[in-house]
Amino acid sequence: MSLLRSIAGGLRSLFRKEQVSQELGEELNDFFELAAEEKMKEGMSRKDALRAVRLERGSLEVSKEIVRSAGWEFFVETLWQDLRFAVRMLRKSPGFTTVAILTLALGIGANAAIFSMVNALVLRPLPVHAPNEVASLASQPHGLGSSNGFSYPDFEDIRDQATTVFRDMTGMQPSHMDGFSMNGQSQPIWTSYVTTNFFQVMDLQPALGTFFGPSDGGIDGSEPVLVLSYSFWKNHMGGDPNIVGRSASINGCPVTIIGVAPEGFRGIYSILDTQGYLPVGMATATLDSPKDFLTNRSVENIEILGRLKPGMNVGQAQPVLAVVGRQLSEQYPEIHKWDWLQAFPGGPLNANPQDTAVIESMAAFFLLLVGLVLVLACMNAANLLLVRAAARQPEMAVRAAFGAGRGRLARQLLTESLLLAALGCVGGIVVGVAASRSVNSINFASAIPLVFDVTFDWRVLAYAVGAALLTGVLVGMTPAVRAARRDLNPLLHESSRTSTGDRQRARSVLVVAELSGSLMLLIIAGLFVRSLRSVERSDLGFDPDHVLNLTISPTDAGYDEAQASQFLKQVLQRARALPAVESASLAATIPMGHYNYGEELKIEGYETSPGQQRPLAGYNAVSREYFRTMRIPLIRGRDFFDSDDRTSQYVAVVNEEMARRYWPNQDPIGRHFTTGKDSTHPIQVIGVVKNSRTQHLTGSFRPYFYRPLTQSYVTPVTLQLRTALPAATAFHQAVDLIHSLAPAMPVFDVQTMTQALNTLNGLLLYQVGAALTASLGTLGLLLGLVGVYGVVSYAAAQRTHEIGIRMALGAARSSVLKMILRQGLIVTAAGVLVGALLAGAIGHLARDLLAGVSPMDPLTYVCASGLLAAVSLLACYIPARRAMRVDPMVALRYE
Amino acid sequence: MEDKPSDLVQGTLDMFILKTLALEPMHGYGIAVRLEQMSKGVFRLNAGSLFVAFQRLQRAGLISSEWKATENSRRAKYCVLTDQGRKRLNSETQEWGRQVAAIARILEAS
Repeated sequence: MSLLRSIAGGLRSLFRKEQVSQELGEELNDFFELAAEEKMKEGMSRKDALRAVRLERGSLEVSKEIVRSAGWEFFVETLWQDLRFAVRMLRKSPGFTTVAILTLALGIGANAAIFSMVNALVLRPLPVHAPNEVASLASQPHGLGSSNGFSYPDFEDIRDQATTVFRDMTGMQPSHMDGFSMNGQSQPIWTSYVTTNFFQVMDLQPALGTFFGPSDGGIDGSEPVLVLSYSFWKNHMGGDPNIVGRSASINGCPVTIIGVAPEGFRGIYSILDTQGYLPVGMATATLDSPKDFLTNRSVENIEILGRLKPGMNVGQAQPVLAVVGRQLSEQYPEIHKWDWLQAFPGGPLNANPQDTAVIESMAAFFLLLVGLVLVLACMNAANLLLVRAAARQPEMAVRAAFGAGRGRLARQLLTESLLLAALGCVGGIVVGVAASRSVNSINFASAIPLVFDVTFDWRVLAYAVGAALLTGVLVGMTPAVRAARRDLNPLLHESSRTSTGDRQRARSVLVVAELSGSLMLLIIAGLFVRSLRSVERSDLGFDPDHVLNLTISPTDAGYDEAQASQFLKQVLQRARALPAVESASLAATIPMGHYNYGEELKIEGYETSPGQQRPLAGYNAVSREYFRTMRIPLIRGRDFFDSDDRTSQYVAVVNEEMARRYWPNQDPIGRHFTTGKDSTHPIQVIGVVKNSRTQHLTGSFRPYFYRPLTQSYVTPVTLQLRTALPAATAFHQAVDLIHSLAPAMPVFDVQTMTQALNTLNGLLLYQVGAALTASLGTLGLLLGLVGVYGVVSYAAAQRTHEIGIRMALGAARSSVLKMILRQGLIVTAAGVLVGALLAGAIGHLARDLLAGVSPMDPLTYVCASGLLAAVSLLACYIPARRAMRVDPMVALRYE
Repeated sequence: MEDKPSDLVQGTLDMFILKTLALEPMHGYGIAVRLEQMSKGVFRLNAGSLFVAFQRLQRAGLISSEWKATENSRRAKYCVLTDQGRKRLNSETQEWGRQVAAIARILEAS
């Protein structure tokens, strides 16, 4: 009640200023009149009485002031005054204001942009109801890396034994690409195969239709149903309101669309847009999941998400899961040797501690760098403000002389810097939005629906505003405290031009700090750019130039293996006959692509001791001429023949690493091995090729083998052409060729092999890293330049008088130039030294993000230091030259 | 003005004003005079402090004001104690009594 009254009273005196003031005046006047009447009764004259009252009780005007300044509204009023004054001051020096605001806007904008990326990758919770109740499970098989893959029977056991902390659990196969056909049109669709309770556990309501019932999607292919994502329904189905109940097919299997997931639900992977959901039981019908995967405990292809009971947290789940994990390990010792079973907050991507740690350390590293940019921007703005504060000392002195309190002066300066920061913040948000737009438009060179959804949500805004506030306070604090502390009296007497050495030193320290920060950013940028170059130039083991890729999916067009083989054979024949096509071949996966196939092997004559990991190798299914198209040298043996098919001996070509590891010092040609999937057909080694990059651009080569597609059919497949033709022409011809044979055949991921390398596995991260650090480095250099220029030119201007005297006494222009430059040189040298040391420390953190370049790479250090020193000296030279041109007469006559 | 209200124990000025108004509504000068009389000239208030206290009490809802004619038929703004103000005065008086008694006990204890 009284608070309301207080607010009402305050507002009244704010907006009814005249009336309130008049009323108060009347009341006070009454008071003084009455007091005077008392005195007059004692025989004083009216004039004397009024005078006596004033002495005793204070004057009317002062009393009025005292009453007025007692309420809270007085604070608001003075704040408003301060703000208006600040705006006037900023408008009076547009140059200073523009530079300061731009500096802050760049600093805050860069921060907002980087933070929005971190937000998208790490911080943003799952797009479901009560996301903090959702956790994903991972286990740590003894001696191996932790894994978030479980078998379906494991899933059921864990679900049933952890009911004390989990309300329910849902399991799913890792999402992947399927072919979706409807009305004769086919297209790729990114799907998740989930247990039928998935949407209940995620607590979602369908936008249209229904979600799965418990009996949907039987393992025998009964009740085949599909739920589409909202964005797929909108973008690919035209938002058809009658979509529910329509028939379509997934990988050639008929399905009924039963519902559409709610808007904004992109699935549970942070950067992947899951477009469709199918019951997990259907995985055997539409995919090549083993027929018994629902009962076979050694097929570990299920990710588990649990929904905690309300009020429970992940920490409470750990002991329960530890017990369950121990029991399962004891029960099935030949399958599970788990060191632990744990829950991790969030989606399945979080349940991979190693990966999460990498992403988090990368995020922390970039936040650190961009935080440094903000610090540089702050120092710049602080510097500018200090220079201005020095110039405004007489003004402050005059204001103090007129009765402004020190606190009031400090508040005025702080208001100005906060206003600057607020304007910088607005600019920063504009810069940030623009920057994250450009990140959003990164081409991931892929048909996989990656969503790098870098949008400005409240977290980013809060971060930007927080950064701006901090900036305003930090930047304004120094001048404000100085203004509050300073004894202003001498200033009124002293000439305004003599600057104290103390402040000069403070500014020099600021500039050294700025230069060292800039250099550090430059060195980091240099390291990342060099790392990108080194990865780009590294020997891939194949030649990506002039190779074109077109991915086709015969399964999506409803072809079975026999039809597909026939079709692919024709495609190859016709493609090879195209003009200027040197060679054409097929491959199930392309290097750095999104598919990776690996197999556990049993190798004739290679025994593994118990407890040792069984041999593993990656593999690719390819056609004849693959090695020629990719220019992977065949060292021994032969290429595949068209006659290698299901009826003949199963064959494989292995890479050098596989030959070296599994047949050391022996001739691998003619040896046999079998794969975990198919132990009945021994595969004979018929050739050895040189190692080439398949999944990662760095690190050691891993064992790898190639099998003919005709013996190991995989879909979709990529048609690869080596041709001298311009890419556009060749693509056109190839697509025409494919569609002349099969008009409804989906063709996607149409790109050159060089483009295809720019994937998440390939160059993309290096490119993004180099682009980010390079922009931060440029920003740092720019800020450093502004900082040095500002300080040196101010110092030179302050010394105009002194320079005039020196020159009048006979100093040569060159010696004046030297004098000014010397100061710049010292500051630059100190900045370079400190910056190099800092970069050494920070570069160490980036060790894991760099490839082919040491974090102490001398060339980078030398080049970056040279660049910074050159720019810094240039920034000194311009004001120094101006000082040199000073006309002694003018300089002396001034004042 | 040796005895300024700032030398008063914090918050006591408000209590004095409430106490003064407990008898009858008064105008500002009247309150000042009454306070001086009651304190035998110890508390001499200047107009600023007094009116700040009025504003504070009014916003807290402890007093209200109305324009009335004075005894020598001048118009003046009279302060009136509200019910809430009366309650506050009672509780403050009791609290003050308790504190004084407690302080006395402490000082007299040996």
